Amino acid sequence: MNNKDLNILHDFNILYLEDDENLLKHTTDVLEDFVNNIYAVKTVNEALDILLNKKVDVIVSDILLENENGIDFLTHLKSKNINIPTILTTAHTDTKYLLDAIKLKVENYIVKPINIKELLNSLHDILLPIVQQKELIKNNNVIKTISAITDSKQVEIVKFIINNLDNENLFIASYTDIMEEFSISKPTLIKLFKELAEKNILVKVQHKTYRFNESSLENL
Amino acid sequence: MKNRFNKILSYFDNLSFKYKTSFLVFIIAGGMICIVILSQISIFTIKGDFDILFDKRTKSLIKLENIKDTYKVNIQDTLKDMEQENITYNQAKEVLQLAQQLINKNWESYKKEDSIKNDEFITSFIKKFILKDENIDENIILKENIIKNINQKMLQIKSKLNKININDKRDILSQLNLEINAISIYITSLINYDLSIAVNEKRNTQKVFNTIIIFSIFSIFIVFLFSVILSIIIIENFKQLHNTLELKVDEKTKELTELNNYLETKVSKEVAQNRKKDIIMFQQARLASLGEMLNNIAHQWRQPLGTITMIIQSFQIKMSLGKLTDKYVDEKVQDALLLANNMSNTLDDFKNFFDPDKVKSKFEIKNCIEHSIDLSKYLLTKENIHIELVVKDNMKINSYYNELSHVFLNIISNSKDALCSTVDKDDRIIKIIVNKYKNQAIINMLDNGGGIPSDIIPKIFEPYYTTKYKSAGTGIGLYMSKQIIEKHMNGSISYKNIVHKIKDNKNYNCSLFTIKIPIDSGEINEQ
Repeated sequence: MNNKDLNILHDFNILYLEDDENLLKHTTDVLEDFVNNIYAVKTVNEALDILLNKKVDVIVSDILLENENGIDFLTHLKSKNINIPTILTTAHTDTKYLLDAIKLKVENYIVKPINIKELLNSLHDILLPIVQQKELIKNNNVIKTISAITDSKQVEIVKFIINNLDNENLFIASYTDIMEEFSISKPTLIKLFKELAEKNILVKVQHKTYRFNESSLENL
Repeated sequence: MKNRFNKILSYFDNLSFKYKTSFLVFIIAGGMICIVILSQISIFTIKGDFDILFDKRTKSLIKLENIKDTYKVNIQDTLKDMEQENITYNQAKEVLQLAQQLINKNWESYKKEDSIKNDEFITSFIKKFILKDENIDENIILKENIIKNINQKMLQIKSKLNKININDKRDILSQLNLEINAISIYITSLINYDLSIAVNEKRNTQKVFNTIIIFSIFSIFIVFLFSVILSIIIIENFKQLHNTLELKVDEKTKELTELNNYLETKVSKEVAQNRKKDIIMFQQARLASLGEMLNNIAHQWRQPLGTITMIIQSFQIKMSLGKLTDKYVDEKVQDALLLANNMSNTLDDFKNFFDPDKVKSKFEIKNCIEHSIDLSKYLLTKENIHIELVVKDNMKINSYYNELSHVFLNIISNSKDALCSTVDKDDRIIKIIVNKYKNQAIINMLDNGGGIPSDIIPKIFEPYYTTKYKSAGTGIGLYMSKQIIEKHMNGSISYKNIVHKIKDNKNYNCSLFTIKIPIDSGEINEQ
């Protein structure tokens, strides 16, 4: 748990479908500390109601419900084109459920008794890409905003350098190449490289070869 | 000699019974025939002899006597009268002629009779055989001589009588007297001779008679002896046969007793085996329900186990987040204990269920049924079967709780199988109705599974009878239920198909099991 940043869960809403009242209560008690909202429901109808009215990021569902079936519930959602990542929990290790689960492309399949760490990790794994996606969009926006208010040429060149790094984080190019690419004056370019070298971001290794020092960014 | 006798005896002994008896019959019959023939022969011989004696000897003797008399009386007396001249010559001649005719006639008839041969074949044969013609030859010559002499004398007398005339009668008369005397002597000797023959023949007859008597006595004795010997042999044979038969019977009896003993041991073995089979069967049934029950236990345990696991983990999580408060711990521990307690109770339930009751106990029938429903709840909910319990009269009975609960479970399980295979998920209903009739608790268990085909109904309580696929049932459940209800509880269990409005006033084909259990009267009073 400590390996992963479970704090990212704080922003998400979870729908928890489980027919055993005790288990529902106690699991909810644990999960609610980690997430924004947990909707604990006992029946498929309640779950559908929640899905209609609330924003749900992940569904955690039992397979064997009272008179109902979690698989059927998921199939129903799929047919309505609702694609929400799902974790199935079940007391059964039956392969027939497993096959159905694979066909429905559920994210994970947890055998009861539930290991809460496994559940949390699983939730983290599902939500991490979403968080990262958000982060990426945010950063992009930051860069775009910065480039709008500062010299846009310099931003372009930095982008060019980072985009042209090879596997060993080496940038190979001459000033002439860059000047041909961008209509920029040589003094401005030299000044930029100098500045980057001072901050230990782009260090000259040999002629025309520079190393991009990623770790130095942390210290800025 | 003795050896040969023994040989013959042993030969007879070895003959088959059939031959022996026929031999005996043959001997007796042969002997009888022999005796009869012999006696007949002797009678005929004696009769023949008598006839001959009378006819041939006596009659001829009389005739000879007559001739003699005629010579003496008629001729000699007439001649004497003539000599003394008492009668005339012609008268005398006439008398003499008459006398001569008489003599001739008698003589001829004598000769004739004498020449008649005894032509009875058998008697003469036997006589010949026995007497061997001792001294008859010379006698015949003697007789012929005598007859010849008599003939000569007769002719002489005849010629002399013809020569008689009135003149010289003295000479001739004296000659004639001499001749007549001579012929008288001849005739007397012939008579004597004939008499001697008669005596002889009489002796012969006596001889023949004696021989035949001896022979017949001898043959009677032989027949008797043979009969006795054969009878003894046959009796021996009977005895032997009887003995062998007895031996055979004894042998067969022994074989039969042996067979009997063998069968007895086999039967007792089979009975023991059957008992063992029964025990195994009950164990199988127990195992089968054990499997079912294990499913139940597993499911009933899984949920609280999951919850308890969750509670334990929650402590760790809360601790790591620094949110573990006293209140939280108290609350969760309380819940966990409750769950653990439930789990323990579940275990006890099932453990009791598999413990055979050793003593009867008082319990409410409703509780027992509810308990049984609880035990099978997992499977019933899984198959979406609605179960309805209607208790019209609740009562305490004194019986074996667990066994009764077994029976309810069996029937519920049976209904469940029927419902699963025939009825839609939405309409599966089991209904249990309890009421009281007289001194009996009546439990009707219905389900709308469509009932059982009528040709199968008589067999449903038989052991190992199952309509389900091999894997699904052991075929013992209902048999065991019947055993429990009838043998252990003195109750009865029966089945019939009925039509019943089990739901929504709609008619369904239902199967109905009716269980009747006597209520211990003492217990009712207590209630």
